[in-house]
Amino acid sequence: MSSVNTILRSFLLLFTLALVLTCALVCRAATPDAEALLKHSDTYRNGWPSYVVDVKITSYEAGKSDEQHLYQVSQKGTDRTYVEFMTPREKGRHLLMLTDDMWIYLPDTSRPVRITPLERLSGDASNGDVARTNYAVDYAPAFMRTEKVGTTDCVVLELTAKRKGATYQRILYWLRADDARPVRAEFYLTSGKHIKSATFDEYTPMNGRPQLRRMTLYDEIRHNSRSVLEYANAAPRALPDKLFYQGRADRF
Amino acid sequence: MHIVIAIPLLLASAALASAQDAPAPQDLETRFTVAVLDDATSYGALREPLPTVLNRVLVEPAFSTRYQQRLTFSTSLVGETQTYSDTATRLHVKELYTGLSAGDFDLTVGRKMLRWGSGYAFTAAGVLDPPRNPTDPGDRLSVNEGRDMVKLDWVHGPHAITAAWSSAELATAGTQLRDTTAIRYNVLVHGFDTSLIAGDDRGGDAFGGITFTRVLGQAWELHGEGVWRQQAAALFGAKCTLRSGLTFVGEFYTPPNTTYFRGTAIAPTASRQHYGYFSASKSRLRELPGWKQWDASGAIVTNFNDHSFTGIADVSRWFGSHVSAYTHLEFPHGASTSDYGSAPYTTAASVGVRFQL
Repeated sequence: MSSVNTILRSFLLLFTLALVLTCALVCRAATPDAEALLKHSDTYRNGWPSYVVDVKITSYEAGKSDEQHLYQVSQKGTDRTYVEFMTPREKGRHLLMLTDDMWIYLPDTSRPVRITPLERLSGDASNGDVARTNYAVDYAPAFMRTEKVGTTDCVVLELTAKRKGATYQRILYWLRADDARPVRAEFYLTSGKHIKSATFDEYTPMNGRPQLRRMTLYDEIRHNSRSVLEYANAAPRALPDKLFYQGRADRF
Repeated sequence: MHIVIAIPLLLASAALASAQDAPAPQDLETRFTVAVLDDATSYGALREPLPTVLNRVLVEPAFSTRYQQRLTFSTSLVGETQTYSDTATRLHVKELYTGLSAGDFDLTVGRKMLRWGSGYAFTAAGVLDPPRNPTDPGDRLSVNEGRDMVKLDWVHGPHAITAAWSSAELATAGTQLRDTTAIRYNVLVHGFDTSLIAGDDRGGDAFGGITFTRVLGQAWELHGEGVWRQQAAALFGAKCTLRSGLTFVGEFYTPPNTTYFRGTAIAPTASRQHYGYFSASKSRLRELPGWKQWDASGAIVTNFNDHSFTGIADVSRWFGSHVSAYTHLEFPHGASTSDYGSAPYTTAASVGVRFQL
């Protein structure tokens, strides 16, 4: 009788173990790979290893168009960005970002100006918003939950800055469950303050790839203010390494 | 001489060879801007019997074109009509150069502005830079001119070496420029943007120096220069940005009182000079409608040896994307023989309108 009990106990133990293992494996399989999702989501804004895109930013105050800025953004790899300011009042300005280091070239100053992380946040759409769009490089992702945004099933990731040089300390990022397409985001400072939100409004094929066409940044401190970023003419382009050399004075 | 001819030929052949390998970038790109500026300056308490108002009208066209990231032509001119005791017109050639890129090499020939110094209001290491005027470091009328030079750059990863030879033959009359040969090694390592500079002025001094800039934390940028040219000159500076966007810049500069470094108001018998610069500025005064278009700044530059100083205030406002208006005020103070007190006026108030296309 005791041997039957022993066998039953062993069977029960094995069954429980198998159940726990199966549950663990099923749960693991159901949890999305946050790293892979984030990398894939970056391709909607960075379609090629070396490319150029035109960005138009229109700022709205209380629903009325307030300011407009035009930029041509050249990016090579994941950490080298060169931004040329094209609006008449800003012509001659250039911005260079190499990993965490940033310079601005102003036509009326005596030298290239190093930009501190705080200066990256100025304006409705900050320098970081324009020049730094590879989140997989700057942030460590963690899966939080799944939820619906409108009628779209989304995966919610929490992104935490890998380095102090990242534009934001924390981002909550909603990606469409089907294809990791960015849907919305919330941006937080080191202090924990919710500074901006974003909606990724429209995608369109550019040079054969679905690319972000329009996104809106909402100021969470001044709720009447928002900026619409429109992307156009994204195309792969051979860009020389010299374009991203910080000491180059003959900026085009 | 053969070497001078051989370098462009080598670059041209390298450019053709690499053009066959690489995917073609956009063929021809051009940039064009025109600015028209009217600046009126009123001087207070002039020490000499001169008109109190100086009016300047400046037309500033700039054009650049680039073919396949290899050939560049760039020009930036300023036509200036000045009305004071009489009317005079002058053409400033700020830049006029052509460039050829091939592989890691860039060759530039013509008049060009370099910016090797890391100082904002002062520089000792910017041996080929336009002159720094600490009361107008931003060159608000944009009339600084480059140097005439042949320059060869080699850029590879974070390393860059530049060799330049500059002629003083075409320099504006009255300047004390000499033919200059200089070489610079620049590298970005651990966030330090560092340069080593060495060279020689024909018939003048040899010189050597180091510059650096570095960002610290979220808000600070540090920069500095150390130069040996007969004697040592040093500059230390910092920039601090607050979360509000208010930016402070401070610099301390100590040049020796030698012919090269001496200011016009400094006696040859004076000792080493010590200068300070401090500014506070805010662009886009507030992120609110009606305030975003305003920029304001205030600065003071002082000579610690003779306790003279000049206070500077600037306010500007944009009207749409093409038109801006500004006021610029200067208040020199000090003994009439001092560095800044020797200015022939007690106040200079400028107002201007700029149209930019």
